[in-house]
Amino acid sequence: MSQLVFDLVLRTGDVALVAVALSAAYSLVRFPNIATVYYATIGPFLTYVLARVGLAFWLAAALATVAVGVLAVVLNATVFDRLLRSGSAIAMIGSLAVGMLVTAVLLVTAGPDSMRFAFALSPPQDLLGARVTALQLWSMGLSSAALLGFALILFFTDIGRCMRATAANADLARATGIDAHGVIRVITFASGVLAALGGICLSLKGELNILMGPDLILPVFAAAILGGLGNPLGAILGAAVIALTEVIAASTNFGPLLGQAFLFLPVNYIGATSFAILVLALLFRPYGLFVNEVRRV
Amino acid sequence: MFDFILHVAIIAALNGLLALSLNLQLGYAGLANFGQIALFGAGAYGAALAFSWGFGPFAGLLLGLALVSLLALVFARLGRSLGADYWGIATLSIAEILRTVATNETWLTGGAQGIGGLPQLFGFDLPGTLALAAAALLATYLVLRGVTQSKFGLAVRLLREEPQLAASLGYDLAGLRRRVMLISGVPAGLCGFLYAHYVTFVGPDQLFASETFFIWAMVVIGGLANHSGAVLGAVALQILSASIPFAKDALGLTSEYVAAARLTLTGGGLLLFLLLRPQGLLPERIGSVRA
Repeated sequence: MSQLVFDLVLRTGDVALVAVALSAAYSLVRFPNIATVYYATIGPFLTYVLARVGLAFWLAAALATVAVGVLAVVLNATVFDRLLRSGSAIAMIGSLAVGMLVTAVLLVTAGPDSMRFAFALSPPQDLLGARVTALQLWSMGLSSAALLGFALILFFTDIGRCMRATAANADLARATGIDAHGVIRVITFASGVLAALGGICLSLKGELNILMGPDLILPVFAAAILGGLGNPLGAILGAAVIALTEVIAASTNFGPLLGQAFLFLPVNYIGATSFAILVLALLFRPYGLFVNEVRRV
Repeated sequence: MFDFILHVAIIAALNGLLALSLNLQLGYAGLANFGQIALFGAGAYGAALAFSWGFGPFAGLLLGLALVSLLALVFARLGRSLGADYWGIATLSIAEILRTVATNETWLTGGAQGIGGLPQLFGFDLPGTLALAAAALLATYLVLRGVTQSKFGLAVRLLREEPQLAASLGYDLAGLRRRVMLISGVPAGLCGFLYAHYVTFVGPDQLFASETFFIWAMVVIGGLANHSGAVLGAVALQILSASIPFAKDALGLTSEYVAAARLTLTGGGLLLFLLLRPQGLLPERIGSVRA
């Protein structure tokens, strides 16, 4: 049981950071930015390169996340801002095009093979009855700290108040003297940082390769939409729902239901459960689990 | 070499069908379908399933069109309650779910191995296949041009520009979307059928989301809401894409560069045109409706 809970938390952490990044950016820049999941690929690759050069891992990770944050701000100012004038769907395909270019660059520079960070592998420890590796604990700690930090900024600082005000009513926020462009830059930077951290946490536990970003698209979108796009902390709950479904789908014996001794869902379908939740969510709760009234036309 | 040119021409014509189909949805109706490849897949798997059950190509065509129509209705149903960006994500997920099903239901679809051995419609006669593909492309072009120049086409453009105005004038938006999806499903399904019988093999590897984005690039580069533009985009991108391996050999590069060049062609082409020439090579002609 505790193993189940642990798997659940770990899987939630995988998706949550990137989903929060996506949702936070959406709250001010109104289109689903697919490039977010590619920021989650660039982050660990930059960290890997910097760590290979000889920097300590934490320094490499910090530099990489800041670099990705800056990249997100630059891309937003030069590309997405202009595309958004032609509509959110156009901006969305534009962000996907950026993602393709990122993949092309990584393919040529880093190659298609998987890589690992050069940490000493430690045997799994026993923690409250669950088998846990040190790297998994590190990854969990890092993502929890990042989420907590972002929540604190959002709810207890001036800039956080400005972000929430601009997200709720941009015109009113401008009228009260909030520098909307500055707020957008800050949240875009934060979104890049969170996405890069999410990618780093993910690759800490396993490998990094150029398919990390594309593989994240649907679970991350599912989590962000379940939580309500534009509601960053809702995305964490969305990620928990996705993780719960995946863990249940992976570990439940459906046999007795169908009169057989054992029947487990084929492993390949476990990833598809998050797509299915996404489609169901879009059909029945398109504006998230927590919203009741407002509907855009 | 001549055979290779014929092959490129056949694939370009087939891609033209997909581009015309997406152009009707995206260009004319403003429906950003991120799951276009699934419509193609429905046609292709229709042909393959009919073959594996021992039916002839005609039954395969009918089965494919039936599957395509079903999928188009599902897409249209989802569009009833969703904004454009949400609908894009929904169509992308459905396409991915269908690819997962096609990969895993080995008893039905042959799994990752797919279904092979479909007969070529003209034996191995490339000029015949090209003539068939070109005829299908021309017919689709003429039919879709007729559709978009009718009163229905005008209503569809109004749906794209001012949905609220269209609704206030009494147009049934959900019905319009449904008809657009059903009409544009036909060329996509036809393309899947022709492709399946041309390469004699259908498999989940043909259904990756990246193929959808390749078609998007054709439409955006050629010109949104311009049928000739969609065909031009399809032909231009197919020629460029087919010449990548030659450039690789000429420059002595590794095979990673081929994949990277294709991604750059799609992504870079999309981005350049969206930013610098959003109307595409052949812009939409305003006021070109006769009805």
